[in-house]
Amino acid sequence: MGMDSVAEIGSGDGTAGDGDALLQRAQEGDIAAFEALVEREQDKVYGLALRMTRSEADAAEIAQDTFFSAYQHLKDFRGQAAFGSWVHRIAANNALMRLRHRRVVEKSEEALVEPGFTRMGILRRPPEQWERPADEQVLDAELGQAIERATDRLPEGYREVFLLKDVEGLSYEQIAEITGDSVAAIKSRLHRARLSLREAIDQFYSEK
Amino acid sequence: MGLFSCKDCVDVLRAYLDGEMSPEEEAHLKAHLGDCPPCVDFMESYKATPGLCRKALKAKMPEELSQKLKAYLRDKTNPA
Repeated sequence: MGMDSVAEIGSGDGTAGDGDALLQRAQEGDIAAFEALVEREQDKVYGLALRMTRSEADAAEIAQDTFFSAYQHLKDFRGQAAFGSWVHRIAANNALMRLRHRRVVEKSEEALVEPGFTRMGILRRPPEQWERPADEQVLDAELGQAIERATDRLPEGYREVFLLKDVEGLSYEQIAEITGDSVAAIKSRLHRARLSLREAIDQFYSEK
Repeated sequence: MGLFSCKDCVDVLRAYLDGEMSPEEEAHLKAHLGDCPPCVDFMESYKATPGLCRKALKAKMPEELSQKLKAYLRDKTNPA
């Protein structure tokens, strides 16, 4: 997807609500309404950019560029859902371009952790029993840190796909459009990223 | 444990959860799961992984940055 592609701007789920009224006011030139729309999306946009680039400075710039770009295309949106999904895709696109330009030394696939099997294909170690947090909303802080570290350790192409699919909820086709990779490659990377993160969480519980 | 090994089972988890397996493959997988509690646990933990990660990776834009973003957008959207 091109940075300023507006071809799919109206393709949100069209859920009506106060967000749509807000968008309509913003489209009529109400800056406060536009700011309210930004506030609704800014944590998710910033979080995605931060996880993808692992740089607070880059994430801040991506948020600025993304929302300014959204402002420039404001009149083209139909429905607040379209606005939300568009800014997330633009932010992901922005983050990917920065990563490509940064020319970081790509971590090899050896950074991926996978379950061990015997020669007969039997699991070497049964999974740990994972505790369910008493409060579903609150995650054990140490577990949260273990997941952050494991996510950061994923090779970039795997981290991107995992964040876009499992954290952002984009479809395989949308991710293919953003990354330029095939859907088959994306599915394979997603699976290996999930396995690696699952191992990290399992490791956390085995040491508890 | 049927035709599927634990490794076969793990290899197809994403396809299974996305509903992409043929009925025949799915039958092999279910036959294995019916006989292998560790693989049932593995599948449950695989399914739980994205949700736990979503919670762990949720970030809030720092207040200072939020104010800067607002100032930047006000400046850009109201050049006068």
